[in-house]
Amino acid sequence: MAEYKLDCLYEACPIPLLKALKQLEKMAIGEVLILHTDHNCSIKNVVEWTKKQGHYIDYVEISEGEWEIYIEKAK
Amino acid sequence: MTSSRIEELKRQRQTELKKRGNQLPYAIAATAAALVIYFALVKYNMSFSYYWIIGILLGITMQRSRFCFSASFRDPIMVGSTSLLKAIIMALFISSIGFFIIQYRAYLMNPSHQLKQIPGQLHPMGIHTAIGAILFGIGMVIAGGCASGVLVRIGEGYIMQVMVLIGFLIGTTIGARHFEFWDRILISKAPIVYLPHHIGYFPALLLQLLLLVILYFIADWYDKKNNIMSTM
Repeated sequence: MAEYKLDCLYEACPIPLLKALKQLEKMAIGEVLILHTDHNCSIKNVVEWTKKQGHYIDYVEISEGEWEIYIEKAK
Repeated sequence: MTSSRIEELKRQRQTELKKRGNQLPYAIAATAAALVIYFALVKYNMSFSYYWIIGILLGITMQRSRFCFSASFRDPIMVGSTSLLKAIIMALFISSIGFFIIQYRAYLMNPSHQLKQIPGQLHPMGIHTAIGAILFGIGMVIAGGCASGVLVRIGEGYIMQVMVLIGFLIGTTIGARHFEFWDRILISKAPIVYLPHHIGYFPALLLQLLLLVILYFIADWYDKKNNIMSTM
């Protein structure tokens, strides 16, 4: 299963979310997207949107103010 | 909601991470400094001390809750999510009651008051309100934050927003310079509408709260109904 990385450092709201959903459209079910961001609003709006869409999601703070969001396409 | 693959990725990533330093000493030092400044202001300038403490509490609330005015008006249209818009409606609901108490008190103390003496920001309303709202709306969505959101993110150390602040300062300076022009052609001709003077204090409050409740339920319905992006 493929993993995709998406670099969203220094991108303001709502670019990380838009990039993520464009990438998710290209992906097959079961593939994982790793989104790297330093925007704390992404944690909120990407997670909220993905949950609403029914995909699997979780995130890790990899350093102060930097996160990796993991999204597995579920449908 | 998570899956076994994500759990595994997370675990793997967490073992690679180096242990981060404890931030508690910084928090204690910053809180102590804020309190020292507060007590100094209480001694020298009472009203500055109010601004200081209210500003800090507002900032903490906005940062921790990720309360964002631009997202609240942008997300319903862009991703069909209204959770922040509902938060704004709730905030307006509470502040309507608060302002009612303040203004009604002012009215009781001086029943023959003029419009200018009412506490709060009563401004002429007209086409210039719509023009300003559109300009500000475009700006805040491109910049990724309204005035308070930009300041909160600069405080977090988000460098890009410093550029936005520079633009914001340029914009407000130009705006102040051109205010006279707008005032002459539009603002001075527009009326100030203060509902309590037309329909009474209590009916105005009830009308406003009722409208906000209706808006809240519309926003809630829209959120459940809408997944605009899923169809794209």
